[in-house]
Amino acid sequence: MKILHVYRSAPTDDVKKLVAAVSEGRETESFDLNVENPDYDKLVDLVFAVDQTICWW
Amino acid sequence: MSKKVCFLLCNSMYTLDGIRSTLGLSVENQYAYSVIMYNELPELSDYNKENIDWIRDMEGDVLSTVDANVERHGMTKITMEELGQKLREMNIIIPYGIMRPLETNDNFN
Amino acid sequence: MAKSLGIFVTSPQHMRHVMGVVKAAKAKGAKVKVFFTWKGVHLTKCKQFPELCALADDVAICVDSYKKVGYDPNDVPPGLEPRKMATQAQHGEILEDYEYYMTL
Repeated sequence: MKILHVYRSAPTDDVKKLVAAVSEGRETESFDLNVENPDYDKLVDLVFAVDQTICWW
Repeated sequence: MSKKVCFLLCNSMYTLDGIRSTLGLSVENQYAYSVIMYNELPELSDYNKENIDWIRDMEGDVLSTVDANVERHGMTKITMEELGQKLREMNIIIPYGIMRPLETNDNFN
Repeated sequence: MAKSLGIFVTSPQHMRHVMGVVKAAKAKGAKVKVFFTWKGVHLTKCKQFPELCALADDVAICVDSYKKVGYDPNDVPPGLEPRKMATQAQHGEILEDYEYYMTL
């Protein structure tokens, strides 16, 4: 099970806790959308390479 | 194949519609759950009460981390720790709408 | 077989991400469906919306949401097929028929 965590804004403490719980014992990747010029090409490659993508707020 | 889907509803302006979206997947034969975080719901209309009942009839649930929603609206209590574990069972996790740490409930419609 | 990506849009804030992801996915030959609900339907008023409709394989919106946030359901957003002013069943279709899933 491989999970991609995508962040649309800076994660709150609660989001960090949920990410930690969901990720425990699993392979994870993360991608920060909260930047000026996100690399969408890389993001889509990551989405296609994992089993589940979670786009946090 | 039916999937397990969890809507995370943390913004009062999005909560009731998030429940409606949850029901939308329930009737499409998915196992759909809403989790209401941070905000306390006001008195619910019959329409919204029926939506919650219907989600439960379809083997989903409406849960809340907020005690007032458990006591006032009969939502299933879940702690943040339990939520973390529950999310591990889900095929799809939907952080719904926008994150805004609203303390008020002044925007229901 | 081509990959397929379904995008569930619930935020009114991220049209640039919707466009960026759809363009990138289409450039990789993927089939893409986008469904807008609740306040996400405000994005139908962005100037890029017709381009999105032309680019993605399927774009639909929740007509109930469109009405609830104050638009006239007879005012179909440019680029959108009228029959795609639809219901939450469109979201169910994404879960059933699309291999990869994102929320924006």
